[in-house]
Parts: sequence; C-alpha cells; structure tokens
Amino acid sequence: MAEVAAAGQDREDGARVAVTGLSATSAFGRGAQPLVAGALRGQPAFGPVGRFDAAARRTQAAAELPGAPLLADELAAAIETACDEAGLDRPQRAQAVFLLALHTDAAAARDTAVDVVTNDTAGRVAARCGLPDPPRVYATACVAASTAIADAAAMIVSDRADRVVIAAGYLVEADSFALFDGGRVLARDGQVRPFSAGRQGMLLGDGVAAVVLESAAAARRRDAPVSAWLAGWGRAGDAYHVCQPSPGGDGLARAIAAALRRGRVDPADLGYVNANGPGTSFADSSEAAALHRALGSHAAKVPVSSTKALHGHALEASALLEFVLTVTSLRAGILPVNAGFLAPDPDCELDLVLGEAREARYRYALSLNAAFGGANTALLVAAA
Amino acid sequence: MTAPAASLNPAPGGGLDDLPGDLMVLARAAWPTADQDALPGLPGFIVSSFSPLAAELAERCLRRYFGPPPADPTRAEQTAIVLASTTGDIATAVAVAQAVDQGRSVPPLLFYQSNANAVAGHVAARWGLGGPVECTIPAGRGLPDALEVATLLIEGGDAAAALVILADQRRHDGDTGTALLIGPASWPPAAEDPAPPG
Repeated sequence: MAEVAAAGQDREDGARVAVTGLSATSAFGRGAQPLVAGALRGQPAFGPVGRFDAAARRTQAAAELPGAPLLADELAAAIETACDEAGLDRPQRAQAVFLLALHTDAAAARDTAVDVVTNDTAGRVAARCGLPDPPRVYATACVAASTAIADAAAMIVSDRADRVVIAAGYLVEADSFALFDGGRVLARDGQVRPFSAGRQGMLLGDGVAAVVLESAAAARRRDAPVSAWLAGWGRAGDAYHVCQPSPGGDGLARAIAAALRRGRVDPADLGYVNANGPGTSFADSSEAAALHRALGSHAAKVPVSSTKALHGHALEASALLEFVLTVTSLRAGILPVNAGFLAPDPDCELDLVLGEAREARYRYALSLNAAFGGANTALLVAAA
Repeated sequence: MTAPAASLNPAPGGGLDDLPGDLMVLARAAWPTADQDALPGLPGFIVSSFSPLAAELAERCLRRYFGPPPADPTRAEQTAIVLASTTGDIATAVAVAQAVDQGRSVPPLLFYQSNANAVAGHVAARWGLGGPVECTIPAGRGLPDALEVATLLIEGGDAAAALVILADQRRHDGDTGTALLIGPASWPPAAEDPAPPG
C-alpha cells in the first residue's frame, strides 16, 4: 500500500477511495434506479431469448433488454450518466484514467482482416465520452470488471491517479450462449437458484455499467458527491483447476480476508454480502465454504444473496453490475432477495435473503466474484 | 541455464527499464527460440495454439526459477499470474463463430478454453501459484502494459511476485511470446544462475 501523505483528515482520506458516480443497464432497464427497483421487486428478468435463434440449445432463457441494443451505445450512455452524476466536466474526464472490461467481440472473430479478438469498441467509446483511450481491456472472465476496480483503487491509493472511470459491458449474443450451452452450465429450468438444493446452473444476462472512483482528496477538492467508499479490495487465486473452484474456497477466502484487512473492518460489522453465486453446484458450495473460512461464525449471520438470480450473469461485466447494485442497495437500505430458492443445501449454510427483499440499515457490504482459473475478487463497500 | 537477471536484454517493446528498483526479473523465456521450436500439446485444449503457447512460456520461465513443478510453496502462494495478449485467442474465437454460423454444437472443451483464465488456471494449479490472476488485452504496448499491471499488484500488496506472460497469436504471422518472472530483489536468484553483478 502506498504511504499516505499527511496527518489528520488528509491522512485518513489519502487511503480512501470514493465512489462519486455510477450507472448500470440490465434487463430491468437503463440506469441504476431500474436495477435497484428490480432487486426490490425480486422478480427475475429472464425470458425466452429474442436476439437470436436459441431453439437448438438445451436452454432458451436469458435476461435481455428488448430490441437489438448496441454495446458501444450502451457503454457510452452508461459512462455519460456516471460521469454526469460525478459532476465531471470535459477537462476532468480527459485527465481521468479509463479502464474497460469487455467480452470477446463476436464480430471480430468473423472479420478476417482483424488480428485481435476485441475490435475498436474501446477507442470509439472513449472518444465519444471524452475519455482517454484505455490502456488495456480487462478480459479476466467473470472477475474482469472487479479486477479493473481493484486496479483503479490501487492506482488511486498509490497516487498514480486521482480519478478513474471504470466501465464494463456484455450483451447476450449467440457465441457465448452456444459456449455456455455446450459446457452444460445453463439452467434448463429457466431459473437461477443460487445456494439452493436443486440448482441447475446459471443464465446469461445483459449488463453494462460504469463507475467513477476518485481519491477522497480529489473528490473533496471539487466538492463532489460521494455515494459510498470503496473501503477495501482483495484478489487471490485458487491454484486448483482450469475451470473449477477450490472446494474449500481457498482463494476467495483469502480475497475476502484481504479486503477486510485493507478496510480495517471486522466480519461482525458486515451488513450484506452480494455473492458471486452463479447457481452452479460447485461454485456456490465453494463460495459458501469461502465465506465460512473468512468470516468464521459470522458467516452464518450476515445476510447473503446472489443477484444473478435476478439479472443474470453478465460475464466480464457482471462484477461491475453487482458492484453498482451493492452500492445502491446499501444507499437504499435494502437487502436484495436471493431469488429462485427451493430448499436448503447443507453445503451452503448461509443466512440467505429469501422470499423478498428486506429493509436494513448497514454500514459495510461485500461484493464477491469468482472466475475460471481460480481467480477471485472481493470488494468492500462502506456507506458514505 | 538462465542468464543473470541483471544482464537480461530488454524485451521487445521495452518495459524492463521501468521496473521499480526493488523489483527484478528473476527468470524469463521466449517463444519461439529457434525455427524448429515446436509447441507441446496441452491436454484438454483443442483447436488453437494459444493456450499451449501460454502454458509453454510459463513452463520454460518457471522451471528456470523454481526447477520442476510444483514451486516452493512459500513463494508460489504469493505469486500472481498476469496473462496479456494483444491479440487474444483468435483461433478459438473463430472456431466458436464457425460452429455457431453453421448451426453446429460448440465442443464442450471450448467452453472453458475460450477464456484465457483457463490456461492461467492450469499454470496456477500445476505450479501452486496462489496470487491473483489477471488477463488483459493491452492496447498496443503489450509487455510494458503487462509489467505495469504486475507492478501494481506487487506494490499494492496483492502479490510478492508475478509471472508475466505475453502470448500473441496472429491469423497469418505465427505465434510469439515472452514470459518473465518478476519479484523482489530479496528473493534468491535461480539456483543455476550466477549471482547478479553488484
């Protein structure tokens, strides 16, 4: 961790990362408000795939926006909203760092003139939004966006950057649908049932999100609104398998412990965990084990839900969508429901938010994500 | 035998000069090293040379530092993997696109292979590397950007060392790659290496 510069308030703020703007687009609609409203209603957004022919697949359900949205347009709109909420003018945007997480571009794979699996979406979106070109695209599967957030936070606390705009996007398309169908991980019953007995797997969903992170000092200098604090972050690997998580949740437990340690937060102070919970057998039980390992006896007491049961899995964008929902849920004083639940699974003994969303006031929340290759991340959000 | 770390030549694209003073290159490997260099197959990975390339680069680099797998657990637990590619795995993406366009099922193995995390997970499991896993597509500056990511992980306290792999697969020009193990100068150099000067 970088040394913080001065004593008193500056010293305290120097180690803190402010969330000053955010936006999200999901099958519930455009903007963070429809997302949190959808979480409050607790009705999953899944329906028959309408964007391509999925008749030959084992599953035909996904959570899609209506029509044929374009990723670049949705990304640009989400970034504009987040930057507007943060009150960033054009010069401030131009001086920010821009980090982007994207899925492999289906069009690039079909263009024999292109020598890279992502096309020029990143540059076009940056130009439209007045941001600098991103130095890289984050492609770390389901932790791509949370990895970008952690990198942004590390840049801010080490004084490499005052302000970072992070965006991520995935819109359900035929190639990844076919891949996940071929991998037999999509729920054939059309519902995602995280941590539940009888869970059959995951479902894909549209997700586009943008977040503005700033150093506390930079936010205070321009009197920016602070939605929440990114109080801690952690990432660690399982060293276990190409695509299965460690059954004991080793890497995720270390990521959670690192996030809490950075934030100097005791497990007893956690008010909510937005779990990775894709609804697959191995991943959910591994995550439950990680929570018990990292939180000890508090793992059975802290409310947990996976909102993928509502908005679906947005792959490279899922972690940013869930981070936005974690922040907005904390601000709204709600605990999103863990939808689709049928019956307890003895391998997933957690205090799941069942039935409907609960009202609750809490100060700290965790947003967890895990991916192929044993990549795990934990983001600790604190109330402003 | 690996060259002494301090005498390593800058990699194509540069970047090594930007390493902070307390970090050094502990081992490195490249692909190809000769015209006849042949990639070994990687069980469970099909169609594309991308994952075998990344795995072979990791193998060559890590063997030079740790010897045969698994790695010394004390150091391996703190070692991250940064897998960067300015191209990504084009052959797998094309195979998936062709299957979809022709109305065929996608082979199940491509499900996990389609993301670079999978081969990173293979390397992590084989060597016991328990640090963060980060896969990126740098915008042009391949190795320098990957080193920047690795430095951020180490300086931020998420890892003590990082295996940095740059693996590029082009439709027409063949595969190329570089792997570097970067870590603290306080870590002992590779057993077979002479002590670095100074």
